[in-house]
Amino acid sequence: MNLNWADALKAIFTLTLLTSTIRVSISIILAGMGEMLTERSGVLNIGVEGTMLMGALAAALGSYFTGSPWIGLIAAGLTGMLIGLLFSFIAITLRSNQSITGLAIYLLCVGLSGYLLQIIFEHGGNSPKVNTLPMLHFAFLEKIPLLNAIFNDQSAIVIPVLLLPIIMYVLFYRTPWGSWLRAAGENPKALAVVGKNPVRIRYVATLCGSFLAGIGGAYLSISQTSLFSENMVAGRGFIALSAVIFGGVRPFGVFLACVFFGFMDALQKTLQTVIPDTIIPRELFMSLPYLLTLLVLAGFIKKSGGPADIGNPYLKESR
Amino acid sequence: MLGIRKFFLKRQPVFITIIAIVLAFFVVGLILAATGRNPFNAVYYFARGAFGNVMNTTDTISRVIPLTIAGIAFLVGAQSSVFNVGIEGQLLLGAMASAIVGYIVKLPFYLHLPLMLLAGALVGGLYGLIPAWLKTRRKVNEILSTIMLNYPATYLTHFLVLKVIPIEGVVPATPFIEDSARLPLLIPGSQLHAGVFIMILVVIFAYYLLYKTSLGYEMRAVGYNRVAARFHGIPVEKRMNFAFFLSGALAGLAGAVEVAGVHYRFLDQFSPGYGFDSITVALVGLLNPFGVIISATLFGALKTGILEMSVYSGIPRQLTTLINGIVVLFVAAKDILGGWYARIFRGKNTYEAEKEISQ
Repeated sequence: MNLNWADALKAIFTLTLLTSTIRVSISIILAGMGEMLTERSGVLNIGVEGTMLMGALAAALGSYFTGSPWIGLIAAGLTGMLIGLLFSFIAITLRSNQSITGLAIYLLCVGLSGYLLQIIFEHGGNSPKVNTLPMLHFAFLEKIPLLNAIFNDQSAIVIPVLLLPIIMYVLFYRTPWGSWLRAAGENPKALAVVGKNPVRIRYVATLCGSFLAGIGGAYLSISQTSLFSENMVAGRGFIALSAVIFGGVRPFGVFLACVFFGFMDALQKTLQTVIPDTIIPRELFMSLPYLLTLLVLAGFIKKSGGPADIGNPYLKESR
Repeated sequence: MLGIRKFFLKRQPVFITIIAIVLAFFVVGLILAATGRNPFNAVYYFARGAFGNVMNTTDTISRVIPLTIAGIAFLVGAQSSVFNVGIEGQLLLGAMASAIVGYIVKLPFYLHLPLMLLAGALVGGLYGLIPAWLKTRRKVNEILSTIMLNYPATYLTHFLVLKVIPIEGVVPATPFIEDSARLPLLIPGSQLHAGVFIMILVVIFAYYLLYKTSLGYEMRAVGYNRVAARFHGIPVEKRMNFAFFLSGALAGLAGAVEVAGVHYRFLDQFSPGYGFDSITVALVGLLNPFGVIISATLFGALKTGILEMSVYSGIPRQLTTLINGIVVLFVAAKDILGGWYARIFRGKNTYEAEKEISQ
């Protein structure tokens, strides 16, 4: 029953914690970056969680039936885009309430992924084991413990994902398309005046965002684990949404927010193994990511963080 | 001719919702067919499961009760532009609180039952105040916060039944509640319990509150146009906080009624997603208290029907969530139907028809 706190702390804060932080952050980063791109264009897609779930399923199926996790990865991205297209059609073209549409997408994906899983494998809960993405190992990094912990023996998509905030930054602030994108989110009418089509930009942003969310889901099923299980995203999509708000819808802010939430998740998992259930129950640790996310949202939200026109449908004729 | 048109145009929202639901179920049928299941077969087993005999029918009605109360919970929120997606969590906590009051407290039934229901409502309502504070004070999107709050609520109830409350028997659950805290059965041997009356009271209460009191008027004003409501002198934040509390309280009550009428204890994972269904129920019911009963009947039938369906025709029970998603999607997109609908029934003499209706 007695717990030596000094030993426990030593067992918690190790380089392994850093490695697992990166590992669990990746899916949140992918979804968060995608959602940030979408929100910058003025579209709030609450359905990310569902998009990730379908991405996870598509990746597992792709990897299962072809044996190649890379095909699974592509399938996940495309599935994500397909769901993004459905969302865009209803929320952008038909100008329905974005929140309700996102909610519908979430429910639809939860139901559809569970349904398809059952139909395809004839038994519920889990898919069979599938091939996972290769791990990369750089021999020359072994000498530097910190870099070794971050980069070595991580999935092959980790490094491109860690570059995403830089890519997004360049895209947002150094390209003409980026300024149109931001204009679509701030003042779509002004953008229309200069001859750009806000609807098209919102479509592209939502589709790209959903692509990334799909990949984020794929990471869960063909890298972090090696199977698809029902509801395996477990709120990570919503955590990514919170990270976008927390990070002020800016590339590096959102990235850091995602890593922060990833760290909390990794910490929670480590704590579960170190501290016995009788002292602090597992359920409390499992609730931690959600409670902390809410706490962070309550404490740090910036009122002027996001685009001005987010959530509002764009209607050409309106003034 | 114009009379018929007028009839259809005036009831446009109702008919469009019906069309949207029919289309949604058509899509569900397509999905069934595409995955190698016979949709007509499915409909047969569904109907048999939902209304095939007295047992199944009463079972359906007993599911309409929590769906209606939870649907009203979402409705009172949504009418004040508060989208409470945390009904599942509030319902679980309310059920847990009422179960604890139900088995610990010893009182005569006329005190025990109300106290137990009240405990459920109060705990649900208090849990609803967390997203309220986040929304009105910290500007946190309530869809996000309420979804997130479902997880700690679920884990807390897990924790309580698994590790705190001594388990009797094999299933993780609280001990059975006292007889004095139980809602009596209306038909012995069935699942139909006196919660039906609580459900009817809740519907009438919601209707009276929203449409017959100034508080309800102000809540709806906040929902319709927050800025205008503020200029009108309505304390917008207070009304939203109240809507959150009321929504959570009704969700908690829905859980308490399930405990008092069906399970007689808190059974781990007893809710088959009533919280999420409540959103669909309320939206399909056009956010109208009486509409909610109708749509709750539809989705209650779906819940029982799907059980038989999954046993006999090999259709996974996950179909319910899928149906929910597709229905909400169609209901969200129904405005486009509105355009076509108006064009069909207005015909060419749009102006005359408009004039006719406005008179």
